[in-house]
Amino acid sequence: MSVPLKVIYNEESTKSIGNDLRKVAVQPIVNYSNISKSYGDLQVLRNIDLDIAPGEKVALIGPSGSGKTTLARLLMTLEEPTSGTIEVDGEMLWHQKTNGKLVKANEKHLHKVRGNIGMVFQHFNLFPHMTILRNVMEAPRNVLGLSKEEAMERAVTMLKQVGLANKIDAYPAQLSGGQKQRVAIARALVMRPKVMIFDEPTSALDPELVGEVLEVIKAIAAEGEMAMLLITHEMDFARDVADRILFFDQGRIIEQGSPKRIFNNPESERLQTFLSRFNRH
Amino acid sequence: MWNWDYTLLILPQILEALKITVSATFVAFAVALVVGLILTLARRSDFKPLSLFAQGFIEFVRSTPLLVQLYFIFYVLPEHGLSLSPFIAGVMGLGLHYSTYLSEVYRGGIESIPPGQWEAAKALNFTPLETWRKIILPQSIPPVIPVMGNYLITMFKETPVLSAITLVEIMQTAKMLGSHSFRYLEAFTIVGVLFLVLSYSSSLMVRRLEVRLNLR
Amino acid sequence: MWFDILPSFWEGAKITIQLTLFSAVIAFFLAFLAGFGRLSKIKAVRFLAATYVEIFRGTSLFVQLFWIYFALPLFGIMLPKMLAGVLALSLNAGAYGSEIVRSTIISVPKGQTEAAIALNMTPWQRTWLVILPQALVMMLPAFGNLIIEMLKGTALVSLVTLADLTFVATVLNSSIMRPTEIFSVLLVIYFVISLPFTRGIRWIEHRLSAGRY
Repeated sequence: MSVPLKVIYNEESTKSIGNDLRKVAVQPIVNYSNISKSYGDLQVLRNIDLDIAPGEKVALIGPSGSGKTTLARLLMTLEEPTSGTIEVDGEMLWHQKTNGKLVKANEKHLHKVRGNIGMVFQHFNLFPHMTILRNVMEAPRNVLGLSKEEAMERAVTMLKQVGLANKIDAYPAQLSGGQKQRVAIARALVMRPKVMIFDEPTSALDPELVGEVLEVIKAIAAEGEMAMLLITHEMDFARDVADRILFFDQGRIIEQGSPKRIFNNPESERLQTFLSRFNRH
Repeated sequence: MWNWDYTLLILPQILEALKITVSATFVAFAVALVVGLILTLARRSDFKPLSLFAQGFIEFVRSTPLLVQLYFIFYVLPEHGLSLSPFIAGVMGLGLHYSTYLSEVYRGGIESIPPGQWEAAKALNFTPLETWRKIILPQSIPPVIPVMGNYLITMFKETPVLSAITLVEIMQTAKMLGSHSFRYLEAFTIVGVLFLVLSYSSSLMVRRLEVRLNLR
Repeated sequence: MWFDILPSFWEGAKITIQLTLFSAVIAFFLAFLAGFGRLSKIKAVRFLAATYVEIFRGTSLFVQLFWIYFALPLFGIMLPKMLAGVLALSLNAGAYGSEIVRSTIISVPKGQTEAAIALNMTPWQRTWLVILPQALVMMLPAFGNLIIEMLKGTALVSLVTLADLTFVATVLNSSIMRPTEIFSVLLVIYFVISLPFTRGIRWIEHRLSAGRY
């Protein structure tokens, strides 16, 4: 690939990159370049540039409607950017080269690049007509083309990891919200993506069920190899898990930095106002 | 193959018969609206035999062909001293058949009223009749008007069946013209196009009404 | 007594049931074809499907049957009565059925498609593994009702002299003149034929409201 190596700036220490390395040259697993997105007159993303390093955990915080979710949905190919490019593992996501010209990607190209990405949704989106086991097995079996035995083995291992091995024959409607979300996490993980998106994974849950889901995500993050894009309103969770925090407002990245920097020394007024709402209680 | 001179010759006669079709539609619709409401109320009645009868009637009428019901009204009732003209028998049959469908429409409207409305009426000491007239029906009918409009269009399209009991509406007129000249193509095509144009344009109107009601 | 006329209906009942079942199979096929056609990405396909649906919903089965049986021969297409009946019934019901297919498919929540995309399923897999299985269950009661409408519609073929139940009844009536018994028995026979379908629909609806959805 003729993609130039990007330089990632880490102002302070991160978990994945050593303390003494301020500038590290690695090829980012995800690169957003001058991305904008509009719905008619409403512009939800304005010229976003963002690199995510392999294994890096990036948390997106900010008020609702600030464009965080849209940024994630563009990466999952659920929505198309109005302008700009996205690269995943050095390959264009929404564009492809045909006869030397850059054109809109077709379904085949999307299929190829999308395999690197997984997503966990706010509302779980489990398949209600399948058992838990089939929810997790279906894609390995049909998309990755694994044998039934292999797919099942992978699925069961994954379900054990999220603590639901005893629910494999249940249907989604028989589970609690927290259990549903854990199945959804297993379903996404079983595909072994290089980047995982968590789109407000606990926002639809009853407060007492939030903890179990956050624990599972923390455990996955601790394993390290997979990059994560976390959209969350749980500030303590973001501080614990993320290597870097981005503060979004009105379709722009207003401020970014390590959790310590963002939470202890917020620079912009908007971030200070935003954080003060969480500190009050 | 298609004869325009012949088409223009028969068109006025078919259009003339459209009056019968349209008036049969509206009279039958009125019958369906009234009987449908009665069936709905009977079905909700606390008096078990009445509600069972209404339920059985609805299921029986909905599961048997309109054509046979028309034969029943037109050929059986005279045996028992009730001779009806094709028009009266036709609108009765069509009206009764669709009253069972409209009773479902009323039911849907009524069941969408939140229980709090019934409780409020009780708290205000309304009589059952007042509750129905002033609280329940005024709220449950407007939302279902588009559905009723669609049934009006359906009934309009079904009127050709009345030709089977010799009512001279547009289909019967077309059949007579066809058997006269041995040319069915023009007559039946005119009937088809008339129904298509009228029902399609009315359904667009209903759709617009639906949008307006949703906006409110 | 009324039961002496019962055997006369047997041959007619066979025709009625045959008509209903043949037409139902073809209508089901047409319904999916046109239903998916209306959701197609290709404009010409959408237009074609919509034209078919609007024409056959904009006129009644009665007019369609008479047009196929009496007007088509002028184009040199002479269909046997049974075939004309099946064609009219299935084209008509197929148009209504396509609306059932279309509306249930679009009623499957968008999140389901999104989850399927996130698992990198192909468009084909999204439809077959995720959307259709959910939509099919929702379609069942509506298709059950459509079959009852088709059963009722078969009575119209008697008007083009196909010897179904209703035709048998009218012929019998003109020879023995006992309308009360004949038409009462006829109504009851139709009701009895429809019973498995109405009970089946109710059973499915009950399961759906109680089940895992």
